[in-house]
Amino acid sequence: MVSPEAKKLAEERAARMQAALDLKEPDRVPFTGLGGDVIPAYAGITSYEYEFDFEKNRQAAVKWFTDFPSDSAPRVGLGGLDNQSMGVAFQDYPEIVSGVNSVNGPMNDVLKMKFVRFPGRELDENSARQFIGGKNMEPEEYDQLIADPVKFCFEVIMPRISGGLKDLGSPASLATMARFGLEKARQDAEMAKTMQALMELGYYFAPRGVCLAPLDLISDQLRDIPNLILDLRRYPDKVKAAAEALVEPMVKMGTMSIKAGAKECFIPLHLNEYLSPKQYNEFYWPTLKEVILKLVEAGMKVQVFFEGWHDAHLETILELPAGWGTAYFEKTDVRKAKKLLQGHTCIMGGIDVSDIISLTPAQLDENIKKLFDEMAPGGGFIFSPNIGTCPRETPIENVRAVYEAVEKYGKY
Amino acid sequence: MREELLRSFVDMDEQEAVRIARELVETEGGAVAVLDTCKEAMEEVGRLFEAGEYFLSELIAAGDMFNQIMEFTLPKLQGEEVASLGTMVLGTVQGDVHNIGKDIFKVMAEASGINVIDIGIDVPHEKFVEAIKEHKPELVGMCCLITLGVDSMKRTIEVIKEAGLRDDIKIIIGGGRVSQAVMEHVGADAWADDAARGVRLSKELLGKE
Repeated sequence: MVSPEAKKLAEERAARMQAALDLKEPDRVPFTGLGGDVIPAYAGITSYEYEFDFEKNRQAAVKWFTDFPSDSAPRVGLGGLDNQSMGVAFQDYPEIVSGVNSVNGPMNDVLKMKFVRFPGRELDENSARQFIGGKNMEPEEYDQLIADPVKFCFEVIMPRISGGLKDLGSPASLATMARFGLEKARQDAEMAKTMQALMELGYYFAPRGVCLAPLDLISDQLRDIPNLILDLRRYPDKVKAAAEALVEPMVKMGTMSIKAGAKECFIPLHLNEYLSPKQYNEFYWPTLKEVILKLVEAGMKVQVFFEGWHDAHLETILELPAGWGTAYFEKTDVRKAKKLLQGHTCIMGGIDVSDIISLTPAQLDENIKKLFDEMAPGGGFIFSPNIGTCPRETPIENVRAVYEAVEKYGKY
Repeated sequence: MREELLRSFVDMDEQEAVRIARELVETEGGAVAVLDTCKEAMEEVGRLFEAGEYFLSELIAAGDMFNQIMEFTLPKLQGEEVASLGTMVLGTVQGDVHNIGKDIFKVMAEASGINVIDIGIDVPHEKFVEAIKEHKPELVGMCCLITLGVDSMKRTIEVIKEAGLRDDIKIIIGGGRVSQAVMEHVGADAWADDAARGVRLSKELLGKE
């Protein structure tokens, strides 16, 4: 049972995040919390156990979120890796998409995806799950992708990337989909238990959509990054047309969860820091912008993770309507972003995970104090690590120092 | 022709650069001229990257051009004395299976005249030690993209120390997660979060610039 106290705490946390999203000053600087492989390490279990065993995963999450409270809806359950080309293949079947769009360890045991690596499987039991990408499409196939991206992802790409579905229509592939359904039902029930446990601790859950920038879908899942970079020079018109063809599928992926109550869509960018402003503005931004605008039109806020250095493209964010959502930065200095985007965009980020690993508690305390002095005034700021994964070896005294500094300096 | 090759290479005109190189390589002393010109072009591309005029996209395209041209140039250099700035053992550290950053760096380092021994991805600590013993490099380069790589680099360097090899080499770390703080934390000699800076610092560590 969720106690009235826990319910009140959850409401306060949600309100704190919402105020920042609405570009206002909340009661305190909202903090997403730290996470990643440090959670199983803190609970004394392997990363393999955390990625494959719901019961152990739940216990580890409860311990972590009890000892280290934070404000955003916690990302719990088994961690997944991006698998959006398969999501596109099944885009007319939302109940399938929610299981294939991001593939976790046990689901990968069923689907056998080519470009993911999990601890305790391909990797050491205490390694981190990793997406490695790869080339799954030849340049001669751009026309097929452009003509019908959904059909192309289903008929051509899926058999190449999923060991379980390599022979579409075969008994093996039908058995794979049947197993997928059983595993999905099992995971949905387990997830409900995990969410219940976290709600009892005063957390809330908010479903959200996920999609990619159209060009990232091509580079991450179809051509791989180096090949896509060369394609920009060798087949510029094809690449552009393919990105345009993927706008509608991406919007569909992003808005799919609105029926389940999603108010936000997350778009993690990858290729942004690879591109010159000329390439970004010609090949990447127009279709990404179109996707964001359509999600906003559909009533969603959008959170974009600007991976790497986004400095060269920062001003393009101003082309979006004020209040469109959240810009989450990895390497770009959030102070610099604030000068440009205050009153227009909610800014998220502020602490480098490498610093949390490498600095002393006193240094972290001082850095966070200085950061909040500059970033808190005026609101519209969510404090977060620059990437999601703190490794197993993250010193716990440093983790404590971060949470204590948020407590000390976060009040408005 | 050398001037044209240099210009088309630096301007990222792939077809033109490859065409000129193919012609030049067939002339007397042409292979050496192609090699030297492409090295000069790669250096210029690195300089433009560090100046903020070029981006990762140009580094990848330049690396691909360099490899394409070397494929038909190097066989013609058999027997020629090619100067080397020194040897570097390079690998992505244990636990991390990413290779893009390492590969971008590798081709730029080779183009700068460093003899690179690539020992792959997810490289166990001991394998770095074995490679140091076998190849006796002046430099060791360690890459990581994900956060677990930081501690993995630290442990690799400890294992190298335990083997008594630390004083024989300089260590540069590279990749998305490295910084000055990480360099100090793991006990490396230099750090770079992009390939151009990585090559420049590697040359400095080799005492070449």
